[in-house]
Amino acid sequence: MTDLVVAPLLVALFTAVATLPLRSARRVQQAVSVAGGVVYLVAVAALVRAVKADGDGYLVYELSNWDAPFGITLVADDLSVLMLGLTAVVSLAALVFSVRGIPAVGQRLSYHPLYHLMVVGVTGSFLTGDIFNLFVWFEVMLMSSYVLVVFYSGPDETRAALHYAFLNLLGSAVMLLSIGGLYATTGTLNMADMAEYLAAAPASQTTPVLGLSAMLFAVFALKAGIVPFQFWVPDAYRAAPAPVAAMLAGVVKKVGIYAIVRLYFTVFAVATLPPGPFGDNATFLAFFGPVFLLMAIGSIVVGGLGAVGREDLDGLLAYSSIGQVGFIVLPLAVAASAVPAAGTAIPGDGIVTLGITAALVYSVNHGLAKSLLFFVSGALSRTLGTVRFDALGGVSERNPALAGSFFIGALALIGIPPLSGFFGKFLVFDVGARAGSWVVLGVALLGAILTIAYFTLAWARGFWGPPSDAVAGAHVDRSFVLVAAVLAVAIVVLGVGFGPLYDLSYEAARSATETQGYVDAVLGGSQ
Amino acid sequence: MSSETDTTVIARTVVRVVVPIILLTAVALLLQGHNLPGGGFIAGVLTVTAFALVYIVFGREFLQRSLLHVEEDGFLGGAIGEYGRTFTFGLALAASAGVGSIVLGELLDDGQFEFLTQGVVFVYHVPVYHEIEIPTALFFDLGVYFVVVGALLTILAVVGRE
Repeated sequence: MTDLVVAPLLVALFTAVATLPLRSARRVQQAVSVAGGVVYLVAVAALVRAVKADGDGYLVYELSNWDAPFGITLVADDLSVLMLGLTAVVSLAALVFSVRGIPAVGQRLSYHPLYHLMVVGVTGSFLTGDIFNLFVWFEVMLMSSYVLVVFYSGPDETRAALHYAFLNLLGSAVMLLSIGGLYATTGTLNMADMAEYLAAAPASQTTPVLGLSAMLFAVFALKAGIVPFQFWVPDAYRAAPAPVAAMLAGVVKKVGIYAIVRLYFTVFAVATLPPGPFGDNATFLAFFGPVFLLMAIGSIVVGGLGAVGREDLDGLLAYSSIGQVGFIVLPLAVAASAVPAAGTAIPGDGIVTLGITAALVYSVNHGLAKSLLFFVSGALSRTLGTVRFDALGGVSERNPALAGSFFIGALALIGIPPLSGFFGKFLVFDVGARAGSWVVLGVALLGAILTIAYFTLAWARGFWGPPSDAVAGAHVDRSFVLVAAVLAVAIVVLGVGFGPLYDLSYEAARSATETQGYVDAVLGGSQ
Repeated sequence: MSSETDTTVIARTVVRVVVPIILLTAVALLLQGHNLPGGGFIAGVLTVTAFALVYIVFGREFLQRSLLHVEEDGFLGGAIGEYGRTFTFGLALAASAGVGSIVLGELLDDGQFEFLTQGVVFVYHVPVYHEIEIPTALFFDLGVYFVVVGALLTILAVVGRE
């Protein structure tokens, strides 16, 4: 049943189509949309089971029956299904939130189809094994997210969406250029085929690929909001409706991270650098390691310091996600620098695998916790009309469940045991210590302190103390509290029973570094 | 009779002659699109230019009331609702075109067809045309055609109303 690979994609696509003609029947449209989210979750769960049951852990699906590397290939492996699982959970939560969290007129007109089309784009990006197809899915995802960011259409939203659209269009143009260059240099667009070419080619032939892959990295960094490409993040997240901001921060950002892991650790990792400052026979990752490190440090510092000074909850969360992405890239930087010389297999228990595992665990934790926090912020803004700290205060007294969920989400990002965030942070420190890098440890420590600082500020100003006038008279819709509480429980459960998440992330990291396994699985049939 | 805002007799006469030709060209482009220049997108755009000509020369009222027989009301009703249904149908058709192969593979029971797998049927001895090639890609192209027609007409109607 390899059709399972394409199932999540089709579920999201057909939900988008089905919600279009139901625009005049609001209730039915909402029901179909949420049901679509549930079916998506089921489809992803079935795909996870299928991948786990498969012998080598790669399910390859050749669209329209064209053999790889000529046709477009979809590949579901441990890495893809981990990200899909995160998407399915956050997306369903966001959908349930949207039913009451988005104005009814907006929902009728365009919200549900656009939302599901964004999920289509995200799903496609996680599944595709073709680098040009990746570009197409990025576009599908971005097209809908442009409209979703400008959804409330006020002056601020329009300005934010203009910046967002312009920067991402620029990013897409650069991405297309780099992919064109890669195709001209390697003669293929299929990721497995490209990896095979790069592994065999001498350094003199792969040199152009280094520049092109660096250009491509700038695009992924833009999508993931890594410093110095972070400037669109705060405005866009503040402008977008809460469930969309939750999806953007929780899932869409992770598409950039996924692309970095997939392309750089699976494909470009096998290419040899020309002899130079990184020594003979070093791989591309030796070059990218320091780049990742600098950008991670920049993200942690800029995000952390920016978040401390915010006057509103949404802005704080947006800056916080810049800092948290730094925490995801930091172990990736260590992993990249630790990759052995070209031609050597990456050991399963080394720093490389551990670093990617840490990044993935952190991604999942951040995806859940940050979307939870955006839901709480959205619940407050939908109820009170503002999330400025001077209007908030005393939410913990008025609505303990909502404030408690926020508390758990914040603790998860700070990294308090037994929440899943603790293990994420612990693994980041562990990787830094194993690599013996004081820089990494110092930056991680600074980031952790900043995280504690801004969440303490948010808690003290927004949730602690006597209720403000606005908060005292407010009644928060039950569905908002439910969504936040369910995610909070999920974070606790993932932390207490951490084993499965670690195993999944570890398998995903293995699958990302086993280039030969990936190549064999994709090209095996045609050779 | 005529006021300054009316269009000229020349324009109206030309449009009357040109619109059917445009539509015929659009259909031709749609049908040959799978292996010659053309396809659903360009055919859709061409069809909308025909509508746009009528719209400009005879006015929105004439286009909506007399040609399409729809009343104008609300944002989801009337003409705009009708155009919305057009692109919804197109999107559904285009999406289903890919799934058709999976369903067919299950029905035929002799091996599996992947999503988007295409096929083609040749029809011979057709009068005048002699030989027609009907590819499964035509359904996708038709879907694209309706999406483009519906979406562009929606834009035309919404912008034209303001």
